[in-house]
Amino acid sequence: MIDATLTLPVDEGFPRRRRMRVDPIAAAGMFWIVLALLACWLAPYLLHIDAYATDVAHAYAQPGGAHWLGTDGLGRDELARLLIGGRITLSVGIVAALVAMLIGTLYGALSGFYGGWFDSILMRVVDVFLAVPTLFLLLFLAALFNGSVLTLMLVIGFTAWLGPSRLVRGEVLTLKERLYVEAARSSGAGDWRIIFRHVVPNAMGTIITTTTFMVASAMLAETALSYLGIGIRLPIPSWGNLLTSAQSDLFARAYWLILPPGLAILITVCAFNFVGDWLREKQT
Amino acid sequence: MFQFVLKRLLLAIPTLLGVTVLTFILLHLAPGNLAQTLAGENATPAQVSRITHELGLDRPVYEQYAIWLGKLTRGDLGFSYRRQASVLSLIGERIGRTLLLMGSALALSIVIAVPLGVYQAFRRNTIFDRAASAVVFVAWSMPTFWFGTILIALFAVQLRWSPVGGLQTIDTASFDWPSRLAHLILPAATLALVSLAGWSRYIRGSMVEQLQEDYARTARAKGLPAGAVLFKHTLRNALIPFITLLGGTIPALFGGAVITEQIFAYPGMGQLFWQSATDRDYFTLLGMTVITALLVILGNLLADVLYGVVDPRVRYD
Repeated sequence: MIDATLTLPVDEGFPRRRRMRVDPIAAAGMFWIVLALLACWLAPYLLHIDAYATDVAHAYAQPGGAHWLGTDGLGRDELARLLIGGRITLSVGIVAALVAMLIGTLYGALSGFYGGWFDSILMRVVDVFLAVPTLFLLLFLAALFNGSVLTLMLVIGFTAWLGPSRLVRGEVLTLKERLYVEAARSSGAGDWRIIFRHVVPNAMGTIITTTTFMVASAMLAETALSYLGIGIRLPIPSWGNLLTSAQSDLFARAYWLILPPGLAILITVCAFNFVGDWLREKQT
Repeated sequence: MFQFVLKRLLLAIPTLLGVTVLTFILLHLAPGNLAQTLAGENATPAQVSRITHELGLDRPVYEQYAIWLGKLTRGDLGFSYRRQASVLSLIGERIGRTLLLMGSALALSIVIAVPLGVYQAFRRNTIFDRAASAVVFVAWSMPTFWFGTILIALFAVQLRWSPVGGLQTIDTASFDWPSRLAHLILPAATLALVSLAGWSRYIRGSMVEQLQEDYARTARAKGLPAGAVLFKHTLRNALIPFITLLGGTIPALFGGAVITEQIFAYPGMGQLFWQSATDRDYFTLLGMTVITALLVILGNLLADVLYGVVDPRVRYD
């Protein structure tokens, strides 16, 4: 649709000292991601806290004492909800990104490899999807299939594959002209073997970089949908719905509930973007 | 030029048809009896059967599509039984407000992103550049609704500089420009966040590249002041591909409008879309999707045409 892509300059990314191998910002991002994964999956066991146990007598307890981050309107431990919510939001982000990349890679690779009218038709289909705002599609699908965490992952993944498919197609268009493809073909390799053993592995850099950014945007999609009331449904916690309900808890002057989920989303999404940015710069 | 526009308009038709097919498929993925859902929970069996007959829901799917498409080409987007109004009038009432919101956000975003990106490129790798990049990254990673709520808490609740939400102050009976503009500032700022980060990063990268070109160095060596080189020479070249980027941001702005209008109770298309999604008013959803897709396609076409206008190197074949 847009023919000007060739003249786009390379995104410079975050300014940084070039000599370092892993730059400190990306390292901090990776450190945070590992820390968040470990904390969300291990800490609830170690601290013996329950995200679902209500205790109305201690509703809206201030941080400190038995509840490090205080409690919510039903007396549930906020730290436990934050950690379990992190499991949900992180797994939605990661699984949705993987779904999107799987569809996008397959679609883009086939389109770019076979070219011709097949490619034109497939790319017209992408144009059709791109003409509809992603959030519209998300709302539409989420309204149709309301419910589980798994469907939300699939719905977000299904609306996010368009960008990746174009990127992979672009890579494949140049990769398929390489000599090693010709070599593989002359030694009798079939199309599928060439695509998945020779072409796609060489596009892996682009694919991994895009996946990292996709995790960040899928996490933001989860929070947006939760805000609109069609994301993760209570009582299951997620960073998106914790932040949403914290906004109404402000009326009860429970100001301590708003920062933890908000910062968790902000820092984690930033961390994935930092790592993605560093990966992209390393490629060029 | 004329031929190019005509060709692109013709090419837009299959894309738009594709959108109608896509939305129609989505409609039929809906579980349960469609006529019942459209009529609402309290509808009598007679009403349901009347809707079934009117929409041809008792006929094969391709005939239903043909009926719907036939109406569409005559400008009939269907009837919302939930809201007891034609979809076209529902959209017509709100589309101007949303376009105004998007336009303001677009303008605000450009006014901030372009100077910021230019100055970052000019002072590349300094503390200012790094700090600005960090701020931009945070803006990029922030949930829109959180940013909107912070703006409300700060400027509407604490400082009382701005109204909390809505279209205009209620007691003014007629159209009231000052009140409308006052109600537009915070939503526009929130929606601007959607595009701000990407654009300033883009302008910075693009300017860094242009500043390294020979023509920029020559202009500087001739003794032109830095400001003249930045704004008269390099920025012009950096802005050319930016036009394409603007066209590509339109869908994201429509999506962002859904959330922004929800935060600020702004009665535009985004709010209508959300409401229709929650009460399953499918024909309103379909109509809005088609109209939005039309605007997106026209926006991209406009961007491509403008691209050729500002860059004479581009040829239309």
